[in-house]
Amino acid sequence: MECRVLSIQSHVVRGYVGNKSASFPLQVLGFEVDSINSVQFSNHTGYSHWKGQVLTADELHVLYEGIKLNNVHHYDYVLTGYSRDTSFLEMVVDIIQELKRANPSLVYVCDPVLGDHGSMVCWHEHNHTQTHKCQFFTEVMDLLHAMGPDTVVITSSDLPSRLGDQFLVSLGSQRTVHPDGSRSTQRVRMDVPKVDAVFVGTGDLFAAMLLAWTHHYPNDLKTACEKTFSVMHHVIQRTISYAHELAGPGRRPSPPQLELRMVQSKADIEDPAIVMRATVIS
Amino acid sequence: HEVPMHLPCRVLSIQSHVVRGYVGNKSASFPLQVLGFEVDSINSVQFSNHTGYAHWKGQVLTAEELNVLYEGIKLNNVNHYDYVLTGYSRDVSFLEMVVDIVAELKEANPSLVYVCDPVMGDHGWQMDKKMLLPVYRDKVVPVANILTPNQFEAELLTGRKMKTEKDAVEIMDLLHKMGPETVVLTSTDLHSKLGDPYLVVLGSQRIVKPDGSSSSQKIRMDIPKVDAVFVGTGDLFAAMLLAWTHHHPKDLKAACEKTVSLMHHVIKRTITYANEMAGPGKKPSPAQLELRMVQSKKDIEDPALVVEATVL
Repeated sequence: MECRVLSIQSHVVRGYVGNKSASFPLQVLGFEVDSINSVQFSNHTGYSHWKGQVLTADELHVLYEGIKLNNVHHYDYVLTGYSRDTSFLEMVVDIIQELKRANPSLVYVCDPVLGDHGSMVCWHEHNHTQTHKCQFFTEVMDLLHAMGPDTVVITSSDLPSRLGDQFLVSLGSQRTVHPDGSRSTQRVRMDVPKVDAVFVGTGDLFAAMLLAWTHHYPNDLKTACEKTFSVMHHVIQRTISYAHELAGPGRRPSPPQLELRMVQSKADIEDPAIVMRATVIS
Repeated sequence: HEVPMHLPCRVLSIQSHVVRGYVGNKSASFPLQVLGFEVDSINSVQFSNHTGYAHWKGQVLTAEELNVLYEGIKLNNVNHYDYVLTGYSRDVSFLEMVVDIVAELKEANPSLVYVCDPVMGDHGWQMDKKMLLPVYRDKVVPVANILTPNQFEAELLTGRKMKTEKDAVEIMDLLHKMGPETVVLTSTDLHSKLGDPYLVVLGSQRIVKPDGSSSSQKIRMDIPKVDAVFVGTGDLFAAMLLAWTHHHPKDLKAACEKTVSLMHHVIKRTITYANEMAGPGKKPSPAQLELRMVQSKKDIEDPALVVEATVL
């Protein structure tokens, strides 16, 4: 498999967020990963302290220029996550447009990191007194398709799970345009066990693994999601067990202790045992 | 099958980062992670690609910025490492900051093993690295535990010329006296009994016994020369020597055989691919010669031995 990903994300000296979270698993799965580090911090910002340096939009451009001057700006995928500010994000957009001209088949995997249970994305506004219906999310995903992406995954919603309180509902939608011009959409829903801990870097790992598994299952979002969610489950379980072991009985694990057990999860990354099934809806 | 890592093992690697390709931390991190090591990496530079391409662009980390990153780690009380790994260093101030950090980390963990590749050149100075010699010789090598100089660098550090195997053995003993218990001469121009197509690699490990006496194991390997210029192979070598001496701490022969064998597999895969990409009769470009790292995962995990070391 000859597949090259350009990943533009944060770098932390210690721990697993951004490029640290995305690169190793993609490399383990055989992808060539070119990585532009948008920042270099000692660790993620959930620790008591963090220090480091950031890349400006201009410096990002300089790095891209180096790649372009050597005529190696040919990528199959671009992957982005957290972006610090508008100018940086706009430079990312410019770069992607150029890369898409160089390779029209390029797939841009975007995690639009804006917040969680916050008010920044209006249709994700979390309201304790009103639970959204599935129909609402179907419309949301269709709206997103209309804006651009062929594949949308809502990693967590407030839909009630039929498996109960301990589960949250994730949804996915993939729109395919057939050779005759007609369109079909596969929508899937998964009930995912909630986890009683705050993890950092899981979103970055998720996006990277969704890239990998949609690459292997380009017309089967159901399977791609099952593999992606399953690998997340294995990594998180391993991480929680280890964190509690380190913290000791009755004590809450610290951010360093909760770092993802990434290298220890290599076998799961390579071949995740499926532990949850996606249901195809409508 | 792979040797299981019973204890968590954390490496701090302070090396270059390239967006594309495999040098510095890009060359060292993936293989160490594949072998189960936790790798914390400080990127001393971020360049688009290595400097053997027609063009390269990027930014460098100052000694002060390096210190700031280390401060962050320290403030969180996670400045505990089993290994430190360094390679190419840009200038004196940066290298001196590295030495300060290693000294502090050794205070935090006296068993820390510092694996140092004293990059200064090969058959001649690399750019203007002459200023680094006194720093390496007087400050870095004394705190290194594993040293991977090539012939040129070993001669510079000891002030001695290497013409015969006897010279090499004396040079390695001199280097032991300066600090490191383990020394591997990663390539030499010594004459190989197998002929011209081979180069000679030598290693020496000094072990101090409980009764205070010391002995050393010295080994030699004759390995096939490769008709291509690779970048990043030295970084991969140092990283894999770290890994295999970790698994074979008192058996330099076994550690070197695995390390050199893995290098062989990666290089062979890389040459084959590069020649395929370039086409018949054409010399592969630097881009085409990038190490086939992710494709070599299985070899990294469990390198089939293709060389046997002779114990001197």
